[in-house]
Amino acid sequence: MNTQRLALIGLFSALLLLQACAAWQVNQAAASLATAGPRATLARLEQIPTSGRDQAQLLLNTGVLKLYLGDWQGSRDDLEQAKAIMSSMQAVSVTENFAAMTANETLRTYNGTPTDQVLVHVMLALGYLLSGDPDGARVEMLQADVTMQRLAEEDSTLGQLASARFLAGLIYEVNGERDDALISYRRAYNILSDRGEPIPEALQISLLNLTQRQGFRQEYEAFSKRFGRQAQLPATDEGEWFLIYFDGVISNKTETRLSVYDGEVDTMVSVVMPHYAPVNYQPRGLTLVGGQRQRSAMIENLEVRARQDLDAQRAKLLAAATVRAVAKYKMVQEAQSKGDFGGILMNIATVASEQADVRSWNMLPSSVQVARITSKLNQPVSLAERAVTLPPQSEFAPAGKAIVLASSLIDQVYSWPSLPPQPTALPVAEQAGTQSPEENPAQGESDAAP
Amino acid sequence: MKHWILILAAVVLSACATSVERVASDSTIDLSGAWNDTDSRLVAEEMIQDALSRPWIGEFTGRTGQRPAVIVGTVRNLSHEHINVKTFVADMERALVNSGRVDFVASRDERGEVRDERIDQDLNAREDTRNAAGQELGADFMLQGQINTIIDAEGKEQVRYYQVDLTMISMADNRKVWLGQKKIKKYVKNAKLRY
Repeated sequence: MNTQRLALIGLFSALLLLQACAAWQVNQAAASLATAGPRATLARLEQIPTSGRDQAQLLLNTGVLKLYLGDWQGSRDDLEQAKAIMSSMQAVSVTENFAAMTANETLRTYNGTPTDQVLVHVMLALGYLLSGDPDGARVEMLQADVTMQRLAEEDSTLGQLASARFLAGLIYEVNGERDDALISYRRAYNILSDRGEPIPEALQISLLNLTQRQGFRQEYEAFSKRFGRQAQLPATDEGEWFLIYFDGVISNKTETRLSVYDGEVDTMVSVVMPHYAPVNYQPRGLTLVGGQRQRSAMIENLEVRARQDLDAQRAKLLAAATVRAVAKYKMVQEAQSKGDFGGILMNIATVASEQADVRSWNMLPSSVQVARITSKLNQPVSLAERAVTLPPQSEFAPAGKAIVLASSLIDQVYSWPSLPPQPTALPVAEQAGTQSPEENPAQGESDAAP
Repeated sequence: MKHWILILAAVVLSACATSVERVASDSTIDLSGAWNDTDSRLVAEEMIQDALSRPWIGEFTGRTGQRPAVIVGTVRNLSHEHINVKTFVADMERALVNSGRVDFVASRDERGEVRDERIDQDLNAREDTRNAAGQELGADFMLQGQINTIIDAEGKEQVRYYQVDLTMISMADNRKVWLGQKKIKKYVKNAKLRY
């Protein structure tokens, strides 16, 4: 083996290690998001050099961080770009497949898991809605529907998100399209039922209210019996409040490595696989208090979705890892036949280049939770655990419907329609004075850890 | 051998370079299958031709002796794509105004700035050049509309159907005096393989 060839092997291995280094840095940033807060994490992410292959992952992460921070335009720009990349990567790449089969999985362009592909529409819809563009949010929900149809499989709920269906229902409902809203709520209900997951109170009320309003008597009674409650239609002097709450930060992928040393031929073979460590996620809710009181309930456990997505890929990843291990073993043997030093170097390079693809959209919340209450139009509503008081709907939501977004990562809460500029929207601890975000000067912000 | 390597390198590098070519603004270039300038132009052409050939303008002019004044209301995008509806609405405005048969008045979004300027004139402009408030031309008709889509997808294939509906509503009595419609259907096949 000549010097040039050895140098090439060294260079190639170094490049692969650099790639793994960037993924490791992103994972480190995600791991510290809960304590560092979205703003510091965003600044940290922007310092990490990423290759074109990781661009979608980076944009998904920066997009969701900007959403937490209320930078609607920035969030939309990043998420739209990520969406376009993921869409264009649906075709199978010849070169990336070859590289993945011979080196490692990180040489594929990140094109998102089924959950990512749907959730990007959810995050975009929230961005459009909170920036005052409900029609833009509606567009995203229609796109989410197309994506979920594309991903749909018999006997599987992979790529089917109850949170996306619920949000679509909410957007149709605030647009006055009750028939479409009911269809979306029904789909959310079906997804949760198929998974055997509990139906959140907000979805129960949505289904009851709309089946009653649309005059579907039998369906209403069936839901009423199943949920043990009645519809809660607002009176003429009442409005409806919807809460979407992001809790926690989703886990990172790690890698499991299985290395086998074959003493007869003096060769080390490694097989690596991405995996999620077991997590005992304990969701924390947020209570919406007005004319009624309701604690947010989980509609999407993203910790579970991420693990299901990975499980669905496992067989394919294992097959690729096995093929790669055989190919690398042969390469080492060939190098050994030309000289001991070349063989050792090739063995080091093949083991070092074997990296699991631990990239993921890892700045998402652990869960998406929802709540829905009615309250008098002239009555303020509060978020109990935050000591945040939102002004009465009569001051900013003449249609009697308001959607509030809150995250455990930040004290700031956002609303559609935008809250009027008044100090009551500030958390008590924040009123001493913090920087105001661009969209809603009344709303303070701090990157506080929960 | 070295020459071949150089030629190959040149070919590869040239493939990486950005290239820009001027094309006619009415040429049809479909890249992704999504709504594009050609669709916007087709809608504008259809709507302009239809709006000018229907009797609502003549009827109004015959009855009042004046050109109808139109205000652009909401054109809602209820489609699967983020479509800028302002492009074909602007094309329509231009064609109808240039026909000399219709006046357009500033829309809700546009007139705020004009009114601010008028207030500013009151303070800062010479008296003989000031424009008084309360002299605006009221609209006789409002143009409203929506874009709807139906997407049918299977694997890498998609049929995208767009329907644009515009309505001219009389401000006096809510009569719908003109209904314009344009339908566009596309069959999109996405690549199964990429480099």
